[in-house]
Order: sequence, then C-alpha cells, then structure tokens
Amino acid sequence: MSTFLSYGIPGIPYGCDFALMAVGLVLTFRATGVFNLAYGAQAFAAAFVFDLLVRSAHLPVAVGFVLAVLVMSPALGLAFDRFLFRHIPTASTTAKLVSSVGLLIAIPLLIPIIFGNTPRLNPPYLLFNPDHVYFHLYTTPVNGGELSTTVITVAVVAVVMSVFRWTSIGLQMRAVVESRRMSQLEGISSPSVAAGAWALSSTLAGLAGVLLLPLQAQLIPTDPFQFTSLLVAGLTAAAIASMRSLPVALIAAVGLGIVENLIKGFLPSGGLLAQAVNPAFPFVVLMGTLLLNPGLRSLDANKDPLAGCDPPLAPPSVTIRDRRLEKPTRVGFWVLVVAFLVSSVTWVPGLWVTTLNEGLTLSIVFLSITLMTGMSGQISLCQATFAGVGAFTAGQLAAHMGLPTLVGAVVGGLLAAAVGTVIAIVAVRISGLLLGLVTLSFALFADQLLFQYTWSGGGLTGVAVPRPVVGPVDFASDRSFLLLAFGALVLCMVLVLLVQRGTVGRYLAAMRGSPIAAASLGIGLTSARLTVFAMSAGIAGFGGALYGAALAPAPVPATNFNYVISLVWMVAVITLGSRTVEGAVQAGMGFALFATLLTYLPTRFSGIEPILFAFGSVTYAAHPEGILEYQKSRWMHRVNRLLSAYDQRRGRDADLGTGEPADPVAPAALEVLPAASLSTGEGFGG
Amino acid sequence: MADPAVLAPTPGAAAGAAAPGRIPLLLDAREISIHFGGVAALKGVSLSMVPGEAVGLVGPNGAGKTTLFNCLCGQLRPSGGTVSFDGQPIGDLPAHVRARLGIRRTFQRVEVFPEMSVRDHMIVAERARRGDGALWKDLLNKGKPHRDELEHVEEVLQLVGLTDLAEVPVAALSLGHCRLVELGRALAGRPRLLMADEPSSGLDISETAALAGVLRKAQREQGMAVLLVEHDMAMVASAVDRVVVLDVGSIIAEGPFDTVVADPEVRRAYLGRTA
Repeated sequence: MSTFLSYGIPGIPYGCDFALMAVGLVLTFRATGVFNLAYGAQAFAAAFVFDLLVRSAHLPVAVGFVLAVLVMSPALGLAFDRFLFRHIPTASTTAKLVSSVGLLIAIPLLIPIIFGNTPRLNPPYLLFNPDHVYFHLYTTPVNGGELSTTVITVAVVAVVMSVFRWTSIGLQMRAVVESRRMSQLEGISSPSVAAGAWALSSTLAGLAGVLLLPLQAQLIPTDPFQFTSLLVAGLTAAAIASMRSLPVALIAAVGLGIVENLIKGFLPSGGLLAQAVNPAFPFVVLMGTLLLNPGLRSLDANKDPLAGCDPPLAPPSVTIRDRRLEKPTRVGFWVLVVAFLVSSVTWVPGLWVTTLNEGLTLSIVFLSITLMTGMSGQISLCQATFAGVGAFTAGQLAAHMGLPTLVGAVVGGLLAAAVGTVIAIVAVRISGLLLGLVTLSFALFADQLLFQYTWSGGGLTGVAVPRPVVGPVDFASDRSFLLLAFGALVLCMVLVLLVQRGTVGRYLAAMRGSPIAAASLGIGLTSARLTVFAMSAGIAGFGGALYGAALAPAPVPATNFNYVISLVWMVAVITLGSRTVEGAVQAGMGFALFATLLTYLPTRFSGIEPILFAFGSVTYAAHPEGILEYQKSRWMHRVNRLLSAYDQRRGRDADLGTGEPADPVAPAALEVLPAASLSTGEGFGG
Repeated sequence: MADPAVLAPTPGAAAGAAAPGRIPLLLDAREISIHFGGVAALKGVSLSMVPGEAVGLVGPNGAGKTTLFNCLCGQLRPSGGTVSFDGQPIGDLPAHVRARLGIRRTFQRVEVFPEMSVRDHMIVAERARRGDGALWKDLLNKGKPHRDELEHVEEVLQLVGLTDLAEVPVAALSLGHCRLVELGRALAGRPRLLMADEPSSGLDISETAALAGVLRKAQREQGMAVLLVEHDMAMVASAVDRVVVLDVGSIIAEGPFDTVVADPEVRRAYLGRTA
C-alpha cells in the first residue's frame, strides 16, 4: 500500500497541472465556443514573460506575476477576441479550431523573435519554494512546487466553477455560446461577455504556465512546443469531461497524473513494456476517449436558432469568370507553364531550383489537404504524418531492399492510404472538430512513438530518400528531378480534378453540404469518407516520398513530419485556398519560395514563415475559400463590371442603330442576380 | 374541401386506399416505439401504405410526425417495432440503403447542398439511385454526366419548374425555390415512396399552391406513394387519399380527410377541447 501511495501521490501535482489545462480548455469552449488549441501557447507566453520579468528585469515575483498573469494574459485574451474571434462569431466550431491552430503556431514562434533564442534555465517559482519539503504524506515528501500547484489549482477551479454556475455573468456566458445573436436580442451585450470570457480563460492559461515553470528545467524559445505533453493530458481530461463539466475535468486530470505516475513506478524502468506503454499511454487514453465518449458527438452541432441568417458560401472564382476571359486565361496559363519549365532547366540558379523542387513536391502533399478539407470538408491534422509514412517507407525500402525510389514512393503512398483507411474506419462515426482532434492525437502518437524508431523514422538522423532512377534516366540532378516532380504534380492534379468533377467529388460536395440529406439520397457516407481518407493519405504519402527525394542526399528527419508541420501545412493551404487544386500548388510553391527568401534575413526571424501563414489562417472563418481565392473573386467581379460597362456602351451605340439591346438577359437570371451577387461575398467582409 | 379530381385514385393506387389488404403493401411499419431519455416519442405506431397511395400524416407539434419519418427513413433506430418495404424487412438497414430501395424524403428545415447547382443536385440523386460512386470510374474520366442521365434530369427540372435556374448555385435561391430543389432531388431518384416533411413550411400561399401542384403532378406522372407531413390542411386535403393523425406519439384517428377532421378526438388534440 505504501509503495502504491508513494508512486501515486507525486502524480497529484502533475494532475493539477493537467487540470489547469483541461479546465481552461473546457471553460474556453463553454464560454466562447472555441476549442482553443492555442491555450498551451498562451501558457508558454505567460511563463516566458514571467521568467523574463523576474530573472532578467529583477522584478519581485509578485510584480512579475501580476504583470504576466493578471495584465498580459487577459490582454492577450482580449486581443484574441477583439482582432479575431469577434469577427467570426457565427463561424463553425471547425473554422474556429483552424483559427486557434494558427494562433497555436504563431504565438510561441513570436517569442524568440521578440525576446531572443537564449534558453532560460532554473525558472522562478510561485508561492512555495520547490526545493523545500513542507511535509510528508504517507512517507512521500511534498515540496513547495507540488504544494503550490495543488493549492492554486483547486482554489482556481473552485472559483471558476462558482462564477460559471452561480453568477449572472456565468449564465450570460453560457447563453452567448449557445447563440450570440439570440442573446443580443434578449438584451445581453454579447461582445462584452465574450471578451470577458476570453480574458478569464487567458488568465487561467497564464496561471497554468507560471505554475508549470518549476516543473520545467528550462524554457527553450526555439522549442516552443515543449508543452505538448501538457496539451495531450489536458485534451484527454477535457474530453473525458465531454468539454462540459469543470469538476469532472479536474478529477480526470488528477486521475491521469496519478495513473501515469503509477505506470512509471510499477513498470520496470528500461524494460520493453515500459518503453512501449509509458509514452503510448496518454495517446491511447486520448484517442479512446475521443472515439468512445458519446458526450463528445454533439460538439460540432450548430445549435444557433438564428444560423439561417448566415450568408451563403462564395462560389469558386472560376464560376463567375466572364466567358470572354476563358481563352486568354487558358493561353496565359500555358505560357506560364512553358516559361516556368524552360526557365527552371536553363537559367534559374541552383539554389532556386532546389527550392522549386521542394515547392513542387510539397504541392503534391498539399493536394491531399485540398481533397480532405477542401472537397470533403473534413479536418485532418495528421497529413504530415501520412507524408512521413510515405517518405520513410520509400527511404527504408531503398536502403534495405534496393527498391527503386519511384516504386518505393508508390508503396509508401499505398501504405499511407492503408493507415488513412484504418483511421477513417476507427473514426467513421465522427467528423468536424472531433475528427480533427483524433487525427491530431494520431499525429502526436506518431511523433512521440512511431517515428522514433530506427526501423521507421531512422531515429535522430532520419532516413535518406535517394533521387529516382528510371531505366537509363537518372534524376539525380536538381534540374532533371524538377521535371519528374513537375510530371508527378500534374498527374496528381489531374487525378484530384477527375475525382472533383466525377461522382465521388459530387458525393463529397453533397456530404459537405448536408450529410443527412446526402444519406437520404442513397449516398453511403461511410464509403465516401473511406475513399477520401484513403486517397488523401495516399497522395500525401506519395508526395512525402518525393519531398524526401527532393531533399536528397540529406536524410529527412522525423521532425520534418511532426504534428506542428501538419498544422503549418494545413494552415498554409487553408490560407491560400483549400477548395481548388491551384490553391494547393500556390501554397506549396509559396511555402518553399518564402522559406528560401527568409534565409536572407537574420536567423532570429527563421520562424516568421509559419507565423505569417498562421496569421493568415485566422481569416479562414471569414473567407473559407482562402485569401487568394477571395481576392480572385473580387478581381473577377471588377473585371466583369468593366466588361459589363463596355457592353452597355456598345449596346447604347447599337440601340442608336437597331433599337434593340445588345445582350438581352433572361428574366429568370435577373430574378436570382441579387442573391447570387450576395453569395460571392460582395458587400460583406471585404 | 378536397378537390374531387385530386382525390380520385391515381393509376398506381388502384383503389388501394379503400382496400389496402388486397394489394401487396409497399410500406408496413408495425408497433414503432422510440424513447428520448424518459420521453416516449412514439408509442407503438403502425402505418401501412400501398403503392401509389397518398397519405397525410398530421398532428400538433410534438406529436411525433418527424420522428416517425426519421424511423422509417433509417435516420433513427426505433427501440421497438418492425419496418418492411415492399415485403422486405428494412429495420436494420442504414438510411442510404433504404434510399436506394426507393424511399426518398424532403426535410422540415431545408437541407440542400449550398455550393452545388440545381442541376448537380438532380445528377447526384440519380447517381446515388444507381449506386454509382466507384473511384476508378472517376479516375478513368467516366464521371462526367452522360446523355440519358441529363435527359432524366431535364425532365425533373421541367416537372418542378426549375429549368431556368438549373445552373444557379442553390445558395443563391429563395426558400421557395430551395423547397422545389429538395422535391426535385427526391423525384430525380425515382422514388417509390416519397416522404415530404412539411414542404410548405416558410412558404407563402402562392408558393404553397405551386408546390402542392408539383407534388400532385409528380405523383400522377410517376405513380409513387406519398407520405405527407403538413400543417396546412388545405394542402393536405388536396394532396392525399387518407389521413393519419398522431398525437403524443400515438395514432388517434385515420381515414378520409373529411371524416378525420370531424373526429372529436382530433379536434381536441388540435384545439385543446372538444369542439
């Protein structure tokens, strides 16, 4: 019994840390309707600033605490609300998730740019001294860090629960989440209540970060995602609480902390079982909870009774293009393609050819996001994992079996497709936010476990994917590989376009529009989802293998395919347009070109690229068609107006001669014109 | 008062309303029960229809009409009872398989695919009916609409009066047009049983009349059975052969429209007292 307690009791303060994360996630979701994945990033920012104020600016701990937790954190929350979430109050939960993913990426990467790259050792503590043992509990020493974490967590959760359950502002927060518009009609100032909720949840995040400091030996600005384990545990406890109950989240988090410690204590350290069970435990619990907890199924349900007020989605820009522009557009496109190919194999400098290779192969991977998110409306946060499966398969097959890289890439694609199918089967009954979280947990599992072995991700060094050789043609040089990558991209684009314009694409569009109506027509949602998951994962795997070959002869490490990369890739595609194949190509090429351009800046700014894409992704909720697609539509409207004015002038000239209008318009078309123009986004948001 | 011309048995009905026992049943739902938490939404409801018959399902709000629809379509699994379609038990079949058997429906709150054009709605319905959707066909460029498919879609568009709006994205249409799109989409799947859930909801008088006209015309031309949930009694009277009245999850009356509306139990359910 005493052994059991000696293993279990130290888990309580860890559980309390998890609880602060879990309670914050639940509170933010209940008070703002946003599943705030950036919560960990907010905690990191507050912890970093607290450390900076206390140890660099030599301010007293209390002053540092007030400035970091009670001033900066709520200010950050208010900024989130003021500059982002206030503008997308009626966006879907999934759209808000994408925006929070952008913030999750951007905030921690901004820290080293603002405050420098130096790791900060021995961070300060709050309340009780972590080096001092205050008392023993069943022979287990309890130090100041554990004591302060436990005491503060329990106190904070009690206060937050009381506010949420028994105060008028708590009631208003719950009403605003159900329907901002309906609450406003009842006289509640929804924007103010939402801003208050953001300030409160952000303060909690700051508190969690500061409390966690003594548990972190150092804060490494260049590894801003060191709070990942906290995120996983917090997510799990929040999921066990069905994103609803604060006390259940607290109890679940503490329970998780205790069980993790017990497993670590009882399994022989260094044993095979410990090596397998310890790291996998949090992910197994997280995925199991996400899949099996029926209370999570309604997370995405749109309960807003005024949802019908939302404007319709904008049609693709290509559908509003004047017919007279089609030929010049087509000619211009082919001129560009030929110019690109000729330039790439003749005069473009070597560095930029390498960059173009990366861009072309990344574009293939990004097409998988077009298929998954743009066409089927599903969110997958593990596309880089699929790409990693393809790259490592091709590399390992080449290294150990001498298989040609192209064959390895196809096998890698098929293996990734198989993995994608398994995930789709496991997650067949869930969609939207919940599916996003399940795929995120799979990505985290692959990062922490699957890709860590030498037989898979090649350990620390990574796996080299050799440049392909097809018969007598060797694609070892960058310029020859560019032609191969271009051909592979065109092939994948054609495949995606064929699917988009075929029956499966129509089914996916129907499924995205209304799953219930699609099923009522006889469309098998399960088979449609399996198809899109398998094909998307397959393309990502194939593209990943070629991306690995583009980086040859350098080995490609597992960190190139971690969950952060998945998130960054997704926001890059979504920012530029996930509904069209050209959106994927623009994102892939833009991503690679931008990365090379940034090498000319000081190293301090190396993380700025994901930040820019991440901030771009926060526009997703307002413009789900993507920024470029939105701008193209606006320009298309302007050009159409110019052409229309030209037609009218010609019509007037013709009237003088014939008395008839030049281009009569059908009455039915006239009837729908006002609504159609509204649907294109003219007149709102931009 | 019902229009006599409309109440006359349709060719497919073959006096089915009068003597359903002599014709093989198209739909046979028996003792359907379902509970939501502690609330019994349906308590042993039985409903049968013969091919070509038009039945109105009426009752006050909360009576269980849409719940019964969802049980018949497969969107909800009842806790008790059986459902057969054309002699085949379908209680365990998912919604999309039941749809392929010929059960199509419209929704009380319009469910359209906002980014698709009107024509694409019909094409999707027609393809889903045929069970198309193999990925390899798309990859071999066999996913483009073909001639007989387009001809059928054109017929449906003419039937529902949406030919002029065929290429318009549905997001740009009014509610009345969206109701017609839903109806056309259901008809494009060549249903044997069409279930329309409050199709006049949110429509004005003229739009309701137009929709009722399309429904009658479609039933006359295609000979399908129609199960209509509707609060607009004039529309019910003009469109159905008989009426079934639900109240608090149970059937309280059924028969010809005029008889049912005169039933004291029905009047009590609607008005809260015996009129």
